[in-house]
Amino acid sequence: MPESQEKSNKFWKGLKDYYDDPEILKAKVNEFNDGVSDDFDTDQLSGISRRKFLALLTASAAFTATACTDYRDKGEIVPYTKRPEEIIPGKANYYASTCKGCSLECGVLIKTREGRPIKIDGNPEHPINKGKICSVGQASILNLYDPERLTNPTKNKNEISWNVVDKEIIDLLKNAASQNKKIAIVSNKINSPTSLKVLEKFKEKYPTSEFYFYELFGDNTKRNAWEKCYGTRNTPSVNIDKADVIVSLDSDFLSREGNFIENTRFYASRKDIMKSSNFSKLFSVEGGMSLTGMNADVRIKLKPEFQHEFVLSILNEIILVHGIKSKYLNSNLLSILKKYDFTDFISKQNLDKKKVHSLVESLMKNQGKSIVIAGDSLSEKTHIAVNLLNEVLNNSSLYNRQSVNIEYTRVSSMSDLKTLVDEMKNGTVDILINLNANPVYHFPSDLKFADAVKKVTTIISLTESPSETTALSNYVLPINHALESWGDSNVRNNVYTLQQPVIAPLFKTREKESVLLTWLSEDAKNFTHDIYRKFLMDSFKKEIYSKENTDVAFKPFWYSAVHDGFVELNGKKALPFNFNINNTGNLEAPKVQNGITLHLQPSYFVGDGRHANNGWLQEIPHPVTKVTWDNFAAVSLKTAEKLSVSFNDVISIEVNNKKLELPVMMQPGVADNLIVVELGYGRENSGEVADGVGFNANKFLYAENLISPFILTNINVNKTKYIYKLVSTQEHNFLTNPSIRNFQKVRKIIFEGTLDQYEKDPKFLLPEEKVLHGITREHKYTGLKWGMAIDLNKCTSCSICVASCNVENNIPVVGKDQVEVGREMQWVRLDRYYSGEPENPKVSTQPMLCQQCDNAPCENVCPVNATNHSPDGLNQMVYNRCVGTRYCANNCPYKVRRFNFFNFRDHFADAYYENDVIGLVNNPEVTVRSRGVMEKCTFCIQRIMEARENAIREGRELKGDDVKTACQVACPADAMVFGDINDPESEVSKYREHDIGYLVLKELYVKPNITYMAKLRNTDTEEV
Amino acid sequence: MKKTILDYTLKIRLPITLFVVALAFVATFYISRAERDGIGYAPEQPIKFSHELHTGKMDIDCQYCHTGVTKGRNALVPSVNICMNCHSVARKDKPEIVKLRDYYKSGEVLPWKRVHKVPEYAYFNHSVHVNYGIRCESCHGDVRKFERIEQVKSFTMTGCLDCHRHPEDQLSYIKNVKKGPENCWTCHR
Repeated sequence: MPESQEKSNKFWKGLKDYYDDPEILKAKVNEFNDGVSDDFDTDQLSGISRRKFLALLTASAAFTATACTDYRDKGEIVPYTKRPEEIIPGKANYYASTCKGCSLECGVLIKTREGRPIKIDGNPEHPINKGKICSVGQASILNLYDPERLTNPTKNKNEISWNVVDKEIIDLLKNAASQNKKIAIVSNKINSPTSLKVLEKFKEKYPTSEFYFYELFGDNTKRNAWEKCYGTRNTPSVNIDKADVIVSLDSDFLSREGNFIENTRFYASRKDIMKSSNFSKLFSVEGGMSLTGMNADVRIKLKPEFQHEFVLSILNEIILVHGIKSKYLNSNLLSILKKYDFTDFISKQNLDKKKVHSLVESLMKNQGKSIVIAGDSLSEKTHIAVNLLNEVLNNSSLYNRQSVNIEYTRVSSMSDLKTLVDEMKNGTVDILINLNANPVYHFPSDLKFADAVKKVTTIISLTESPSETTALSNYVLPINHALESWGDSNVRNNVYTLQQPVIAPLFKTREKESVLLTWLSEDAKNFTHDIYRKFLMDSFKKEIYSKENTDVAFKPFWYSAVHDGFVELNGKKALPFNFNINNTGNLEAPKVQNGITLHLQPSYFVGDGRHANNGWLQEIPHPVTKVTWDNFAAVSLKTAEKLSVSFNDVISIEVNNKKLELPVMMQPGVADNLIVVELGYGRENSGEVADGVGFNANKFLYAENLISPFILTNINVNKTKYIYKLVSTQEHNFLTNPSIRNFQKVRKIIFEGTLDQYEKDPKFLLPEEKVLHGITREHKYTGLKWGMAIDLNKCTSCSICVASCNVENNIPVVGKDQVEVGREMQWVRLDRYYSGEPENPKVSTQPMLCQQCDNAPCENVCPVNATNHSPDGLNQMVYNRCVGTRYCANNCPYKVRRFNFFNFRDHFADAYYENDVIGLVNNPEVTVRSRGVMEKCTFCIQRIMEARENAIREGRELKGDDVKTACQVACPADAMVFGDINDPESEVSKYREHDIGYLVLKELYVKPNITYMAKLRNTDTEEV
Repeated sequence: MKKTILDYTLKIRLPITLFVVALAFVATFYISRAERDGIGYAPEQPIKFSHELHTGKMDIDCQYCHTGVTKGRNALVPSVNICMNCHSVARKDKPEIVKLRDYYKSGEVLPWKRVHKVPEYAYFNHSVHVNYGIRCESCHGDVRKFERIEQVKSFTMTGCLDCHRHPEDQLSYIKNVKKGPENCWTCHR
């Protein structure tokens, strides 16, 4: 890199630019690319002269104009020729199915209109996720209509028909099997018993096939540890709702680990002030600042590599100091524990004594009613130690033995993968089948999988969308989206879910199972579109129906199972788990050097990167930092000072001779000497949206790491002279600007207290009632009046409401450049405020959406009366009247109005979302807004109008609880309540009257209609 | 002072011209209003369906064909299979029915010309009106008399609001008729 180039202060667009690629430098000098004017042969141009051309153009325009005489033409109405009985145009149909966004495989309910799916919500009757799904599930509907989905089978990038492909591949498979050459099949973990059956059949047919399953993230370490302690890899779910004390050790169980939808529901049920003030107490011991840590009542900073020692010293304290007895203790264990003195550990790690002691005391006081949860990225031994700790504290009584996470496919071990790569290199692998996975991107770079792939004769990718792996494949075969496929899933032992298609395949795609079934039938002609459905039905009959002991005939049973979306498996008794200390091996913690540590974590919304081409997910702000469209190195303020870097400075991280340069995010609350980087970014060859977003830190995944593949100690970090622009939706100058520190409390946006304070005086929060005066004429609302309440005790800031609102209300993706200038369009914003010391901040979050104020300040400044008030208390925004002066947004104290500076569908990435197919994702009941129009939350007016329509049809009055808004339906914590605030019996008016219910910026007297329930932290008063 | 051509132009010619132009505009505006609102619009349909015959003479209920009218937003132009309920037997040899049967057999779509239309930014709902007891003819005219369907009322915002504000004028057949809502989000969202 030439030093003379002064560009330290320049922004750079991509890594190529940044490295001064000679190609780019050349391109910068020349105005036109090479070859722009090649092939410009005047002889080959049309013979029509300019004059003639213009004459023809004029004449044709004139003819067109005269032909258009029928100005009254209103188009056509095209009814069905034979209308399917269940479809009434204009009314939605709902189908139960299974989400395939991640390995949790929640039950979903899909809303379709005229045969096209437009919204996915949780299936309310599903016993595990109970009507809730995550942001990925909500936004996954966009993947169905993704303009970059693979639409046709290709062979070496040339289109080819399925028939030919099938024939060719069947021959290749037969050859490989007969020559005893290996067929390697790489897939993510499979939870579908029937898919697995197809694979088993495949192996029977082609015996040289070998399967490799992997997950970048997941509970594999947890299961390994569980196997050693309890002799089974099936881990029980945990009744977190019965725990009075929850200790999370670097576990983001509220948003990224385990079944976080279920966890959030359980957690929130113990933060419900309307039911009881017996709150649970959440301790979070973690290095980075996670969503769980943000919500914790007590948060303790600890670098992840010391978690093991921490658990052992807690064991030391409770067993050796406090003398708690347990049958699992033997002399060997005791001698190990003796080495880990609690007080020593506290002073060595410089922990907050009060907090740590309170943690241990709470655990001991609540034996059998507390739970310690270890994070997925921690080492196996840490998990074993945590299992022991839970057993010693009798917390195993909280394990739910009726609902156990079972495992169909075991993740391949690193040595298996190594053997695979070796075999690929020396040519024993003839065919590599990539079954909807992406090994080139995900496998640790040590393995050199991408190089080995080049040695394989035939590479077949069966995927939905392009990826790093499809770029290297010979055959790329497009498969159906989950909404176009049959399937099943069995994640918990007590629930079996079914997946049904809700739309015929949009493109020339096939279910991956039906492709495999065709191949193993040895004849391409055997393919039919229901080949897999029939297989599934047979398998269902054998595996599920026959074991149900029911009098119902098979067909009705099958149809009712498909209708419900799941079958509750009876006859499964509680599974016993017996802890066995003798198999756990040496529990001693490895010695770690005290350098800088790198902690790799999953991304909140794009997961392991497989959802990276979904613009909605890329644009949801990070729950903690509020950064969109990027990953970054989160460091504490002290560490940043030590490295002499600040926001947006690019640092270079070097581990095991692998180097990555990425920007710094100074994150309050991160442990010192720790860098947290999220994976799932830096995709290549994956589409317009995903490519080049963020930085690929997968290269650091190191197969044989001492602690865990995700925690790398003693790394090299250096400052570079470059600057990169991270874009966030909330400013972060709170640290440098003292005038805005704690302004959320000064401005009365956030009210907070502790549970103790509340119990002593329930009215402690209320400020003195002042007489407030308005400048507008007061209006009486006599009938039904809409209002909302948001319980900040339950809200975890998971942002699922944002995703749900995006889908329901046709919110466009604006792109990083527009977020940078504050033009994001999401109607719900999750505000995050820090208070206290930057090194150890308290975090408050608050969903902020249109407050539908009675005295709305936006209304009286609109020059064209495009925003005004309805008799049921809604602040109406009329798009067809709006001329875009933006006075209303200027006058809104909550800053919740959004302006269409562009036609964003047209603006983003060269009209990426102005595509025939993707238009189908739009909710037909909501206007698609164009350039120059103001918009904002409508309290889902389309749902209110639908409820009104139903009430009129049934001849009754519209009631408050007839309507559920999209955000409310999606909220896994049930933190949102919507209804009639003029009805004293309604839930929402009870919230409104509650002692800790408050209105944001009440003293402005705009009379907002959203009540917030103040957060009550379950800490000892002194700590606050 | 000498009268110039300019004086003449300014004092006489210009006002007269302006007056004539304004008069012409106003006259055209009002005279063409009905036409512009689409009143009297009766396009030729792909099949010569007669409402006069079906609802007038044979007295078939509107909802036999327009099945969606109490259920949701759309009244629904009947799907071809509803026509075939009768016409698989009735008048099979008539040329228009042969056309209809061809559509049904081939599965090709039957593109009826649209007659009534509210603008895209208005969300009209048939069921809320019909379920309150408002009769079809209050908006669509007495279709029993139409050989070919045509628009008889204005489908503008004024047209809607006239009735929402003074329902008693047009819906005298409903006892104690209530006013319709007038707030924006009733129709626009």
